[in-house]
Amino acid sequence: MLDIRDLHVFHGPIEAVHGISLSVGAGQCVALLGPNGAGKTSTISAICGVAQSSGTIALEGADLSKASVEDRVRSGIAVSPEGRRIFSNLSVEANLRIGAGVRPDRENVARDIANWFETFPILGERRTQPGGTLSGGEQQMLAIARALMSRPKILLLDEPSLGLAPRIVAQVFQMIDRLRSEGMTILLVEQNARQALKISDYGYLLNNGRIQAEGTPADLGGSKDMMAKLTGLG
Amino acid sequence: MTLTQSQKRGFFGACMLAAILIAIGVVTTFFASNYQLRLVYSAFVNLIVVLGLQVFMGNSRLTNLSHSAFMGIGAYAAAICVTPVAMKQIALPDAPWGLNAFALDPVTSAIIALIVTGIVSLAVGVFIVRMTGTGATIASLAVLVIVHSIFLYRTDIFKGNQAFFGIPQVFSLTSIVILAVVVVFIVRGFRESPWGVMLRASADDETGAAAMGVNVRRLRLIAWVLSGLILATAGIAYAYFLGTISARPFYFNHVFLTLAMLIFGGMRTVTGAVLGTFAISFGLEIVRWLETGPKVIGINLPELLGLSGIMLGLVIVLTMALRPVGVMGDREIEEVFSKR
Amino acid sequence: MEYVAQQVINALSFGAEYALLALGLAIVFSVMGLVNFAHGEVIAVGGYTMVAFAALVTANPLIIIVGAVAATAMTSVALERVAFRPVRYADPTTGLLTAFGVSIVLQNLFLLFISPRPIAVTSLYFLDAPVMLFGVQISSLQIFESVTTVVVIVGLVLFLQKTTLGLAMRAASLDFEMVRLTGIRANRVFALAFLISGLLAGLASVFIMARRGSVDPHFGFNPVLKAFVACVVGGFGSLPGAVLGGFLLGAVEVAMLVLLPQDYGGLKDAFVFGIIALVLVWRPDGILSPAREKGDKQ
Repeated sequence: MLDIRDLHVFHGPIEAVHGISLSVGAGQCVALLGPNGAGKTSTISAICGVAQSSGTIALEGADLSKASVEDRVRSGIAVSPEGRRIFSNLSVEANLRIGAGVRPDRENVARDIANWFETFPILGERRTQPGGTLSGGEQQMLAIARALMSRPKILLLDEPSLGLAPRIVAQVFQMIDRLRSEGMTILLVEQNARQALKISDYGYLLNNGRIQAEGTPADLGGSKDMMAKLTGLG
Repeated sequence: MTLTQSQKRGFFGACMLAAILIAIGVVTTFFASNYQLRLVYSAFVNLIVVLGLQVFMGNSRLTNLSHSAFMGIGAYAAAICVTPVAMKQIALPDAPWGLNAFALDPVTSAIIALIVTGIVSLAVGVFIVRMTGTGATIASLAVLVIVHSIFLYRTDIFKGNQAFFGIPQVFSLTSIVILAVVVVFIVRGFRESPWGVMLRASADDETGAAAMGVNVRRLRLIAWVLSGLILATAGIAYAYFLGTISARPFYFNHVFLTLAMLIFGGMRTVTGAVLGTFAISFGLEIVRWLETGPKVIGINLPELLGLSGIMLGLVIVLTMALRPVGVMGDREIEEVFSKR
Repeated sequence: MEYVAQQVINALSFGAEYALLALGLAIVFSVMGLVNFAHGEVIAVGGYTMVAFAALVTANPLIIIVGAVAATAMTSVALERVAFRPVRYADPTTGLLTAFGVSIVLQNLFLLFISPRPIAVTSLYFLDAPVMLFGVQISSLQIFESVTTVVVIVGLVLFLQKTTLGLAMRAASLDFEMVRLTGIRANRVFALAFLISGLLAGLASVFIMARRGSVDPHFGFNPVLKAFVACVVGGFGSLPGAVLGGFLLGAVEVAMLVLLPQDYGGLKDAFVFGIIALVLVWRPDGILSPAREKGDKQ
């Protein structure tokens, strides 16, 4: 589904990611793990087109590395970004409608919104409230729902558990697991390696802008040494 | 007093700029016609204005649009002090507070003008420095409008758009060149001083600088008042050379002209201010000549009123689009040469 | 009593005009952080279009008005494409200075290609007729102005709350990049903001023309200064703030005319701007300024 080859990411004069390659198969959930500053968010930004990068980014074989941010989303990439970035001045419902801004089918959009309110009754209850009044966990759910409103081929999740209470984190991962079981293709960026690997089919370990290791959750989680690295202590 | 590395380089750079200014002055003195001499003189006045603008804008990165008003305050204050009583009885017959009943020598008048402008700019600056980017710009615009409407309204003191005449013409090209050189050293000195360095750092990262204990507002205020004093100097020099002033040259047209000079040359450096001033002063003179509809190789060009304005506007737009930091960017003159 | 009523109506209709002008600035600022000083020249384009239509096409005022509004809308969108696109993501100062540049260029183009002198248009005088309303004599222009402003505000509110693009514009004022990340095209959002701004400029130009009767290269200068003041007072980037600021400015101006002794009339602007400065001292970002966080992440 998503194939990345030799990706370099730049922030001005600084190179944050030094030529990584990774791929996400259709229906897979792939985890991109690593400590703070490893280059995870830079990678996501590059895939979305908001960071300067070189290398190829192909979605279903079509190279998107020269496409604009909007065209990438339109061809099937959706993102729930780091920090969630809910439109805090707009209502919950308006947030979802903007998420569906690229879709022409109005009735289906309304139905999708209704479905999300069923899935997350709390969002339904607060549909007219400004997004900024939601709690962190609710905002994360809204961010994921907003991303999925565009009916993407692949969902990029950047640190969905960041800053949330453990109980809420569990809920978020439950939700991601459910999306995967429904057949959604997911690239999951996390610092919380243990939890992320539990729901992933494959994982990459990123450190200092390079891929240090990759493999199935069993491969990565097997060795003690690797786990130390994953938790950022190695 | 020991100087830091950048202060030594700054001194060296200022010397190079001074040499260029003196060279322009010498060439003008020996070869220029009377008309050209007036042009060069006004370029030097604008240079001091642009340098004054650079002190504040270049270091704090806030846009100021009130600078021409401060130049006007300096010019009028000096003019009111220095003009002989006999002249003032004719020019300002209804002046209040006995303003038309005394006259001082040019030096005392200039000092009073500096003090007056300094006080006004301090009073305004206290408020300006508290505001963020756009707010500060608009507030400075308000200052410009307020000062201008006072000039226009109090015709008994300022004569409004009519000429305030009779000011002794005590300045020559030599005096303004010396003055410009001194200002170049002051401005470059401020840029490399601890205040200037901290102010520039705070402009790049206000939150970070505040966290490190830098009092951004105080630094901005220092730069603002210094800027006001330099602008007043330009105003005094303007009045002392021409002998006649009016409110009109201290309004929007002059604001835009000098702003374009600074932007084109690059507001972050003193070298940019100097380069921008002379490039635009001389460039505009060519355009103004075209504007009058001259005869070029036997062809009569039509009159093109407005061409200079279009050029000025285009310079700003193109600079912003293609090179927002101006021609010089972050480089001062000595850095240009040392990197060769 | 009648005098008071008259002054209140004056204040409201001035306020309506300023609100219309300020909204045109605020809508662009809220989306791209650009203080569009060239708004005044867009208004002047409206004025010159009325001249051209009246002289060359028709005396039908409706067609003249529609033509002027269409022209300002197109000019505004064209300016976005030509001048403001390169500085779209630049810092506010760069945008502001670009807008200054554009404003100077346009003003001098009018000077060069049209005329430095005022040109009269008489076809809109009928808008300004005396009317008796509840025993108070007012001008029909004041009614037109107030009604138009109300209609515009209602229309704008509906657009911003009901349509996806309207929602996207509000979202863009907070986090433009995130809007792009939902696939909504930045170009469309910007073009729309400038289109709306241009339409508002067009309406304003009609009213200014009806009152003034002629257009010169500085036609839009004073109106845009007033719009600035209104935006600043209300809080730059806030649309309700622009409306509030507009009406507040109208009230202050009329109050100055009424309260200041006759021979202080020339200082009206100084007082108005002085009050503005005081408001800014009290609230440096305006009364209804949208909250912005300071920090290293944008």
